[in-house]
Amino acid sequence: MPSDGIKLAPALLLACILALSLLVGLAGRTSKGAYYLVSGPSVGRAGIGAAIASNWMSAASFLGIAGIFYLQGYMAFAYVVGWTGGYVLLLILMAAQIRRFGKYTAPEFVEARYDSPVARCLAATITILITLIYCTAQYKGIALVFSWIFGLDYTPSLFLGTAVGIGYLVLSGTLGASRNQQFQYGTLILCFIIPLMVIAKKLGYFWVLPQLGYGRALCELGRAPHHLSLAPWTSGTAYEWIALCFTLMVGTAGLPHVLSRFYTVPNLRDARWSVVWGIFFIGLLYWSAPVYATLARIAQGSTEMPTDPEAARALADLIVLKAGEWAGLPSWLIGIIAVGAVIAAFSTVTGLLITGAGAFSYDIYYRLINPAADEKKRMYVAKGATLVLALLVVVLAVNPPWLIAQITAVAFALAGNTLFPVFLLGIWWDRTSKQGAVAGMLTGLAVTFGALLLGPLVPGLGTALPATSSALIGAPLVILVMIGVSLATPPPPEEIRRFLAEEVHAP
Amino acid sequence: MTDTPPPRPVPNPDYRVNFFRPRAGYLRQKVRYTWVLLISWAFFTLGFQFLLLLTQDTPEGDGLITETILFGFPLHYWFSGQFLIVWFILLCFFFNLFVDHLTRIHRKNR
Repeated sequence: MPSDGIKLAPALLLACILALSLLVGLAGRTSKGAYYLVSGPSVGRAGIGAAIASNWMSAASFLGIAGIFYLQGYMAFAYVVGWTGGYVLLLILMAAQIRRFGKYTAPEFVEARYDSPVARCLAATITILITLIYCTAQYKGIALVFSWIFGLDYTPSLFLGTAVGIGYLVLSGTLGASRNQQFQYGTLILCFIIPLMVIAKKLGYFWVLPQLGYGRALCELGRAPHHLSLAPWTSGTAYEWIALCFTLMVGTAGLPHVLSRFYTVPNLRDARWSVVWGIFFIGLLYWSAPVYATLARIAQGSTEMPTDPEAARALADLIVLKAGEWAGLPSWLIGIIAVGAVIAAFSTVTGLLITGAGAFSYDIYYRLINPAADEKKRMYVAKGATLVLALLVVVLAVNPPWLIAQITAVAFALAGNTLFPVFLLGIWWDRTSKQGAVAGMLTGLAVTFGALLLGPLVPGLGTALPATSSALIGAPLVILVMIGVSLATPPPPEEIRRFLAEEVHAP
Repeated sequence: MTDTPPPRPVPNPDYRVNFFRPRAGYLRQKVRYTWVLLISWAFFTLGFQFLLLLTQDTPEGDGLITETILFGFPLHYWFSGQFLIVWFILLCFFFNLFVDHLTRIHRKNR
């Protein structure tokens, strides 16, 4: 871990950008309610698309993909393709229909469709688990960047990052600042692309659109003997690539905090069209991330000897910053990248913790434990749950053995094995019963955590069912279980089937 | 619309929602288009990886495709890292055009 003291310029930049986004949030709070994530209808479809993208971009996109590309080359495209192609599935199979249900969260949808408190409770538990896993990856990113900025070890950086994050959350909550997602997207993408252009220029590659021009650098790397191999299956088999890509796609379509994005847009047609913009804006980041990794390899080759695999693995999640260092960028310019990563991680953590705490306070506490609780009490529980979740994540993030993108992928596997089949069959097959949904979610949990916990112990299981990619086998299996159990149990109530046919699937 | 009503009576024709046997009219047309998109989504994303497997000369996957250079990139890097995202944007674009069209027709009929 780096311990070469605090980097002043990046630290100041971080403080300035956090203060600035707080000010922008305060300026935008007057006309809209606190629950609107998008700043009203005036932003247009491109604006909503930017909001989708800013909601989506996390430490996994900002740091993780470049890290995987640096280590594994072509394997990283399973992440790039999975995390963009998932939106196609979401749009054509589920987005409009879930919106027509008029339910804002995954547990609410499950309750409305399946009319079962047990299914609702399970969906809430799964939402909380996804939150925990997903946030662990974000916290790892925050801790790494803080350790780079402040020159601390990993664990103190984790605590510092958590404290700053919670402080920021509480401050913006008390001041009532809304999140201006367009501003945030603009900040993030500039923080990512401008330093990249400078790096490309310094190293002598096509810098105007480095995303289109890094092919030459890539081919040079392929020819150098000690460097990255360009062959597709050097770091994982074709099966692993396809399983990972499929898992991330179905996971994207099942992630609770992605789905809720579709309710904040006033009309359905705008919501559909904004997805096109959303993928484009997300694509801008994903086209650029491999360039960082490629140029980092090139710069590293010209400044020092190629590192051994262990050291490379330790560097991987910070490779976007290392690319800047090795290319000889000034500290403040690298600081811009660091600030972007922290902002992306903070906003993702905030969104997820709110989703997770909401699932606990409303779907579990209010609906099951204490139905007599009033609004104030529920609010109190929600705040408590946010804090407890945040602390749990700190514990999980103290020593995560995996890379950021890999931890995130486990959250996607969980979503793809549980919520995706429940949404898909719930929308497209009226006969799916509540028993089917419960059986499906339990099977999905068993598959995900079986792969995660038993994978290293049972021979062969880790190969067939990697923990990051269990949904290629898991999701179809869960769908079959749901169909079987549904056929063996009574059909859902008549009014739900009628609602599905006449409202949800209406022109 | 050219679709004829289903030839045999089905139970609860009004509420039946089944992706594999959609009701005639709006839903059937939409599902038909969804199929086209799903197939082009899977064919380009996963099919290309199978193509890599089919044309490989070494276990690492080097072969005809990986040796081809397009726009300065090895073909597989260009396809998965750059083109597929464009393809996804196009798929969503065409799906929206189609649904807009379908909605216009069926809202008029109602």
